[in-house]
Amino acid sequence: MGMNFQLAWRLFKHEARRGELTIILLAIVLSVASVLSLSLFSERLQQALTDRSAEFIAADTQLRSRQPVDEAWILEAQNRGLNTAFQVSTRSMVFAGDALALSDLRAVDNPYPLKGNVKVTDIPFGQGQEVDNSPAPGEVWIDSRLFQLLNVEKGDMVEVGDATLRFTQILSEIPDAGFSVFNTDPMLLMSAADVAATNITGPGSRVSYKYYFTGEPAQLETYYDWLRPQLNREIHRWTSIADDDSPIGRSVARAEEYFLLASLLAIVLAAVSIAVAAQRYSQRHFDPVAIMKTLGASKAMVRQIYLMQICFITALGIAVGVVVGYLIQNAVVTLLAGQVEVALNTWYWRPLGIAVFTGVVCALLFSLYPLLQLFSVPPLRVLRKDIEATLSSRALQFVFSGSAVFLLMWTYSQNLLISSILFASGIILVISLLGMTYLLILLGRKLGSGSMGAWTLAWARIRRRAMGNSVQLISFAITIMLLLVVLVMRNDMVEQWRDQLPEGTPNYFISNVTEDQKEALKEHFDNNNVSYETFYPVARGRFVAVNDEQVRTEITKEDEEVANEGRQGLGREANLSWSTVLQKGNVVVEGEWHDNWQEGEPVPISLETEVARRLDIGMGDVLTFNIGSEVVTATVTSMREVDWQTLQPNFFFVLHPKAVENFSATYITSFNLDESRKSEISSLMAPFASVTLFDVDARINQLRDIIEQVSMAVEFILVLVLVAGALVLIAQVQASMDERLQELAILRTLGLKGTSIRFSVINEFIIIGTVAGLMAALANEFSLYMLQTRVFQMPASLHFEYWAIAPAAGSIVVGLLGAIGCWRLLSLNTGHLLRKMV
Amino acid sequence: MIETKSLIKKVITSEGELQILQPITFAVNQGESVAIIGASGSGKSTLLGLLAGLDEVSGGHIFLDGAPLHDMNEEQRARLRGEKVGFIFQSFMLVQSLTALENIMLPAEITGMSNPKQRALEILKQVGLDHRANHFPNQLSGGEQQRVAIARAFITNPKILFADEPTGNLDSKNSQKVEEILFKLNQESDTTLVLVTHDDELASRCQRQLRMNAGELREETQHLKVIAGGE
Repeated sequence: MGMNFQLAWRLFKHEARRGELTIILLAIVLSVASVLSLSLFSERLQQALTDRSAEFIAADTQLRSRQPVDEAWILEAQNRGLNTAFQVSTRSMVFAGDALALSDLRAVDNPYPLKGNVKVTDIPFGQGQEVDNSPAPGEVWIDSRLFQLLNVEKGDMVEVGDATLRFTQILSEIPDAGFSVFNTDPMLLMSAADVAATNITGPGSRVSYKYYFTGEPAQLETYYDWLRPQLNREIHRWTSIADDDSPIGRSVARAEEYFLLASLLAIVLAAVSIAVAAQRYSQRHFDPVAIMKTLGASKAMVRQIYLMQICFITALGIAVGVVVGYLIQNAVVTLLAGQVEVALNTWYWRPLGIAVFTGVVCALLFSLYPLLQLFSVPPLRVLRKDIEATLSSRALQFVFSGSAVFLLMWTYSQNLLISSILFASGIILVISLLGMTYLLILLGRKLGSGSMGAWTLAWARIRRRAMGNSVQLISFAITIMLLLVVLVMRNDMVEQWRDQLPEGTPNYFISNVTEDQKEALKEHFDNNNVSYETFYPVARGRFVAVNDEQVRTEITKEDEEVANEGRQGLGREANLSWSTVLQKGNVVVEGEWHDNWQEGEPVPISLETEVARRLDIGMGDVLTFNIGSEVVTATVTSMREVDWQTLQPNFFFVLHPKAVENFSATYITSFNLDESRKSEISSLMAPFASVTLFDVDARINQLRDIIEQVSMAVEFILVLVLVAGALVLIAQVQASMDERLQELAILRTLGLKGTSIRFSVINEFIIIGTVAGLMAALANEFSLYMLQTRVFQMPASLHFEYWAIAPAAGSIVVGLLGAIGCWRLLSLNTGHLLRKMV
Repeated sequence: MIETKSLIKKVITSEGELQILQPITFAVNQGESVAIIGASGSGKSTLLGLLAGLDEVSGGHIFLDGAPLHDMNEEQRARLRGEKVGFIFQSFMLVQSLTALENIMLPAEITGMSNPKQRALEILKQVGLDHRANHFPNQLSGGEQQRVAIARAFITNPKILFADEPTGNLDSKNSQKVEEILFKLNQESDTTLVLVTHDDELASRCQRQLRMNAGELREETQHLKVIAGGE
């Protein structure tokens, strides 16, 4: 063992010094560095985004409750090192002099908010400014709408329940106000210390309690583990930003999936480069193994020497890779420091663990087959150079490599779906490529039989080598496909995010518009050059029965307390709308939209698919609603999928107008007023004082900020993956140059001109690049279809442009790399070339 | 020292089974030097591979210093090679990533000899390359590489030395030098030498010449006459 170690170390030392291990070392360094930098960056970015997103719930997690929770729960949280805050909310009338208004009351304690900031403004609907406190006892802060409704001045007294409190600030926004166009009550923020004096939380009042917690994820997790057995699902709900189903929450979740995908692809890229390098390493050691065996080395000895050598290479590769990965990641973070909030000082051990694990698994599993081949080289090779390894099983190689890739992807992602999709695409790609290679041989047999031109030589080489070198062709195609997947996913995703918030996105919503006001308001907007959206009729109705069977629940989108609790929800009314025109962002997936309803047929209603599933409602069911004192029945004739990502009012239930012809509706709409005209809002809406105005500009800006940051981060990750891919291609071309050495030497010796040889090699690479690009485009469509529909929940789309771009880019890039590699070889004189062969 | 009885070798080709060595029976005594000569494709290297235990026989018997090679598996043959056999090849077959000294030490280390470095330095001196000890093969000329290979072959004091076209890749000057060293060391160590060559002059330096022709081996009835001095 000692002698074997010495021999292995000596071989490693010399080979490393002489640059013979460069390719395999680079491959391991690349795999570890790319995985570490991507994972570390993505971990830091995700943390930053989660922190940012946490502002939308004013904490890392919230415990929502319908009644005050046991004080001991909060004390326990504090004892465990968590920061806590508290909010009690209800709806109540507030009075100022003769004015009164129904208000959304929020009473908070002093640490509130734990994440994000409360903003106040000097003038109604003015620019919000962050403050780092909340109302002191005895004070109230009221929002711009309530300010207008109560007609007060700062310092005036406002009556809230039994208490009289002083109005001191105009409230612009609170972090967890929620994003719903149906949150129509103006807001009043007060101190929790005054709640008892107001007497508004007595029996019969609808009060919600929120307890906020921040701390390390592990602390929060162990606290939740402790708390969970004591929670009552009917009363309590534990939520974090991960449960956030808002457009922001969904965008962040999708970005996280993208980072995961990019990192997975980086792992696969790394694996491909190691596979190529390991193959090359093995082939270069056929002779030394044959020599050792001839000189009396046993199989066990050869095994030990080369396994030890692979271990040395892996250890060195990992060590260098960790340093390089850390430097790359830091460089990217430093470059991005101005644009994306990434905590530079935070170190995460998980990415390091993943990177080292990747390096070890890639290096060992991918070298397993080449090593087995190496061990099988017979000693007779010393006499006959044409004798290769006796072990030659492509199937075995694919099994080893395939299991290694799948194991890595699954271990890393913990996501069987993404791993399976990518893996299945890879298998399809490999099979298609083998077929394509076969076709190429047939084609080349015809094309390559002319005079000895550069193209003829290229075809002849491909024909002769295509099957043998299918690994190289496949690895080119996989590399190009992975790059395409990352690129196209990024484009589609960023485009879709930006589509959510195009220029001119409505930043104000108005509701409570009466039938009489509707036309006047439209005219008013037209006269003032304000662009507005459709006016949707709305009525609040209580959903009471399905096919005469009474239901215990009502579902409303905006009622977050009950939204996920299905039939267990209580008390809130549904927002019903009616129209014969299908709303933007809605797609009928079952039945027919009710624009062709005929008199005498049952009155139709259309349901959103998810709510229908939760309430177990099917096509043809008859639903009953109470709207005020009236009863409305309608038959389900269609199911719709609704794109909740659009910042438009959307409805679970859309009736045919016939069902509500006896009701007077109110309307809801939205409009855009750009930044420069924001100061006009008060005067603009003054003639319609009874209409409820809801300013969502701040929310939209927050969302836009986050989307911009995420998009930028995604672009940097794309660049990282592209660099990794380019390095893999270079490694592959370099590896393949060894195989061409002998042929080049012979052709040169026979007197073929350098230009002809050069062009023949370049042409060969161009053909390989084109085929690989074409196959990559094919596999890319399949992978994207699966990823978009199964993972990212995006509409699937075909990308015909890449059917041209991928082969073109493949031929150019691979051809160019071939040219560079070939240049190096052809710059050697014939004698040197021949010596290199020996 | 070497004895074969009805030794045959068959290979499978795309056209079916092909017998490339007809039954061969011969013996080589301890300390004897034997040249196997013949045209390309006559089966010289195949025979050498079998005699050295690098390849498996298809039939017949081979005894190497009394050990039945035909009954041994690859591991047993490897051990036997390490203990009793030295090799010299036409293409030198040095490990490119080891220095001249380390290449020479390699068989000694594989077989677990003590003080391999000291022994390697001594023998390196004998072949006149002590000043090139730390050079890698690609830093040496062809003749120097073959001298390193000869030193490597002799480091374990083998009983039998197999040489496959040892001067085939060398110019006449280097060939001469290599031949001198080879035969000198062979004589000093009383090694049995089996040498495969095209070179009649080299073959004539051996005590016996065997000719291979289309897979058949026959003893040359008279010693090769080497034309000297350009006559």
